[in-house]
Amino acid sequence: MIKAEGLTRFYGENAAVKDLSFHVRRGEVMGLLGPNGAGKSTTMKMLTCFLPPSSGRASIDGVGLDDALAVRSRVGYLPENAPSYADLDVHTHLRFVGRMHAIPKVTLEDRILEMAGVCSLHTVLHRRIDELSKGYRQRVGLAASMLHDPECLILDEPTTGLDPNQIVEIRHLVRRLAEKKTVLLSSHVLPEVEAACDRMMIIDGGALRAIGTSRELARQGHGGAILHARLTTPGEAEAALKQMHEQFSGIEVEQYEEDGVVQVILRHPDPDVELAEAMFRAAVASGAVLLELRPETARLEDVFRRITRGDA
Amino acid sequence: MLDTPLGYVVATAFLLASGFFFGKNLFLVGQADMRAYFSVLPLLLLFFIPAMSMRMLADEQREGTFELLATMPVRMLDIVFGKFAAVMLQILVLLALTLVYPLSLSLLGHIDAGQIAVSYLAAALLAATYVSVSLYASSLSSHAIVSYVLGFGMLLGLFLLAQAAATLPPAMQDWIGMLSPVQHYGNMLRGVMALEDVVFLLAMSGGFMALTWFQLERRRWL
Repeated sequence: MIKAEGLTRFYGENAAVKDLSFHVRRGEVMGLLGPNGAGKSTTMKMLTCFLPPSSGRASIDGVGLDDALAVRSRVGYLPENAPSYADLDVHTHLRFVGRMHAIPKVTLEDRILEMAGVCSLHTVLHRRIDELSKGYRQRVGLAASMLHDPECLILDEPTTGLDPNQIVEIRHLVRRLAEKKTVLLSSHVLPEVEAACDRMMIIDGGALRAIGTSRELARQGHGGAILHARLTTPGEAEAALKQMHEQFSGIEVEQYEEDGVVQVILRHPDPDVELAEAMFRAAVASGAVLLELRPETARLEDVFRRITRGDA
Repeated sequence: MLDTPLGYVVATAFLLASGFFFGKNLFLVGQADMRAYFSVLPLLLLFFIPAMSMRMLADEQREGTFELLATMPVRMLDIVFGKFAAVMLQILVLLALTLVYPLSLSLLGHIDAGQIAVSYLAAALLAATYVSVSLYASSLSSHAIVSYVLGFGMLLGLFLLAQAAATLPPAMQDWIGMLSPVQHYGNMLRGVMALEDVVFLLAMSGGFMALTWFQLERRRWL
């Protein structure tokens, strides 16, 4: 649905985006992650034909960026900070956006009400936008971006400046939309992207550093499965750990004993191995008593930090 | 803009000033014609049009709504025309409201309807050049006040060009004066609709709209 090949954009001498290639599949929610200034907004501005790329190509739904009007009518775009005409009321603003997208007058009113429903704007429909809270303005921007029922939504930091409840609300909204649309959304807040997106890509310094599902990224970043366990009776515990060693080649075991309780941290380079189950069986077989069994998944935040610091 | 509080303020101020200059001539000098009004109109528009246009592109840029506008399925040139039409429409409404002056004059005595019609046409054309110059000024900055000063400055320069021409040697007078829209407007006030005056005013408005368009495009490439 969204396809970029070698997208590059210079601001003067500085490359904001360098040779960026990716593909967002139809019906997918793709997260665009990166620290501030990584080139997220520039990428989105190129995809919406606001900024022309210095080199490279991209297409949306098979339409190349050089056909700007066709691209824009297929894309719903929420620019950063959700700009809208602050001295208009919500309804007038949406009507203006709708008319600019050439939505016929007869259907426009229904569309506005429908989008107001989707974005919970009914109560503020006739309030001036500059009187609204940040959360409402963000939703006005979202409603405006979806008014012409585009196939593809490009949302630049849809949840910045929102409180936790509003963030959850917007996340649910995006999830609901994603049933029918292709979504590309950017953020520098990781858990949010992890919760809302099917796949994500991490860019830094304008270049693509990683792309994939959160699981795949975790593996790329450092990967591995980690299991914390506490067992009683050192002798039996030793036997159980020995069994684990035999079962998994490449496993690392760190252990120490305290008051007759053995604390163990098991690490395995493959994040997909099921350490917990094996540990349980090994403990049962050797007669050790498990007091605690706690798997630790590699956290995406660590991956993100590692990748964007450049020591991946 | 005319349905906002600021719009009412501008419209009221313009009509008050218009009324003053029209009435002054009528009641103090006792002359029942529109010539004095039309000769002061360039100066009035010089203050009002930059004020009505200053936010048009500067605020869009500052509030970030320009990005919204420019990612809608319209061409950049459409945006320039749209902005031009928006200000122009307001000016035409204001000018139309001053039609009560010739109407009331016609009740007092005979008026030269042809001349007045050409004068109104000249005023509309002059306003069009002012609007395009002011729009260009608005595209140059993201601060409305800076845009106003730029627009007012450029228009003042063009206005003074016509005045300054009179002090120059005759050979240069024609050339310099020809560059001033106010000079061409003045020619039309005599009631003669010469093609060259009309073409000059239209071309100047077109030229500044093209500059505005160029400026908006240029910003995307920087």
